[in-house]
Amino acid sequence: MIKTDVYEQVLFETVKRGATEISPDVRDAFEKAIAKETNPDAKNGLAATLNSMDMSKKRENPLCVDTGWPIFYFKVGNNCELEGGFVELENAARRAVARATEKGYLRATMKHPLTGFDPGNNIGMNIPDFTYQFVDGDGIEISYAAKGGGSECFGGTRHRIVAFADGIKGIEKFVIDSFVASARAGAVCPPSVLGIGIGGTANVAANLAKEAACLREVGSHHPDPMFAKIEEDLYKALNSLGIGILGSGGDTSVLAVNVEYAYTHIAGIACATSTNCMIARRASARINADGTVTKMRSPMWFGDR
Amino acid sequence: MAEYHLKAPLTEEDVCKLKLGDIVYISGEAFTCRSRLQKYIFDEGNTLPFSTADRNVLIHNGPIVVKEDGKWRLVSFMPTSSIRFEKWGAKSVDEWNLRMIVGKTTMGDETAKMMKEKKCVHVSPRSVSPNLWIDSIEVQDVYLYDELGRIEAAWFFKLNDIGPFIVDIDTEGNNYFDALDVEIAKRRETSMEELGIEHDFEFTKLY
Repeated sequence: MIKTDVYEQVLFETVKRGATEISPDVRDAFEKAIAKETNPDAKNGLAATLNSMDMSKKRENPLCVDTGWPIFYFKVGNNCELEGGFVELENAARRAVARATEKGYLRATMKHPLTGFDPGNNIGMNIPDFTYQFVDGDGIEISYAAKGGGSECFGGTRHRIVAFADGIKGIEKFVIDSFVASARAGAVCPPSVLGIGIGGTANVAANLAKEAACLREVGSHHPDPMFAKIEEDLYKALNSLGIGILGSGGDTSVLAVNVEYAYTHIAGIACATSTNCMIARRASARINADGTVTKMRSPMWFGDR
Repeated sequence: MAEYHLKAPLTEEDVCKLKLGDIVYISGEAFTCRSRLQKYIFDEGNTLPFSTADRNVLIHNGPIVVKEDGKWRLVSFMPTSSIRFEKWGAKSVDEWNLRMIVGKTTMGDETAKMMKEKKCVHVSPRSVSPNLWIDSIEVQDVYLYDELGRIEAAWFFKLNDIGPFIVDIDTEGNNYFDALDVEIAKRRETSMEELGIEHDFEFTKLY
């Protein structure tokens, strides 16, 4: 059985790492973008951002002042036993978020949707958000993602039902139209990690898009060539637009385009986008049944990616 | 494009010389503002408890500030998206006599019109780099902390040559991103063509 103090400490450290350390795959993508950027101002902007992100790790301060919506993903072994059970896991996650806020790793960003009341610790109705996936085994993998306000509020996250009559062309047009509008003047903080969900009901597509944006390793590809081609085609198309860092012009507008899918109804294809900002914050760790802990390079939420 | 190192409070002359795409660095007095402050003043009829006469640079931002040994310490700072405050943009420029708004993205037509009338500019960052700025910002004071909370209070900052920011609305009300939109739209046509999406493609209407 995994003890409460073990998973609570892992939760806290994962939140802290997600808020203050750039993921290695995102860092690699930045270095590549800097190397190939031909617009000098965009090159300087990318380099300044990477420089600041590297400083955050040393200074243990947030990568961005907007520390985002706190979101947890748990990949749970079917035989995983937690002291206090899963209710206590969620309580411990809330305590970890409150502690991280108190320590200044998170800004007190979550507020009441109508009154504007600020609880000061990022804890409130249905926040943080929890998602579970069940797999074979007896350990648990904990991922924390911080979804920034810019990335979520300016139309980078939206959905549309596309008719079968419109197919891939309809899906791709919807994605390009959404992205161009949302990246204007840098609203969604490009270069983005763009997640796309295809199929299921609207909420299934939206969840897949969010998970594709927040959890997929940057640089990974969908194993099905049909979906990998959509990823590749849209990556190329969006990076040819010249939107650039914070929408001020440049060669890199997306760091990645990640597609995930579900089977859908004969009536139509739910299609959703979720845009993650350039710093694409997340961190993951695995706790084995014996209580040993391993930091993970990326969440591996979708099996091999 | 020219580069300027400006000292606040800014004069009309300081901002009128700025052209779209120019790069600016700013020193001197500024204050922060988010929607809760503007709502508190303009929608709820309260009075701004400080003068903006010598503090005419507004930064759209909700900083992370902590108190250590009786002194404020800035933990993180990054301008936030101005466009969401468009509702109060023109009023802010007009009633607070602003010369510069610092924010991510840009402002809309109504604010640009007022910026032209009152001679004010909007500038935006080209990077997400809080650590390159926080050492150059001194937290001087805070107003409306109890009323608006730690993030949305009006923080008084003293800036020491922070930037680079790009001028995206000039004192003639022109917007840097309008020209960029035209270029992006042209490239978008080419991209669509390469993906085999016809110029006149229309979605089958489902609702």
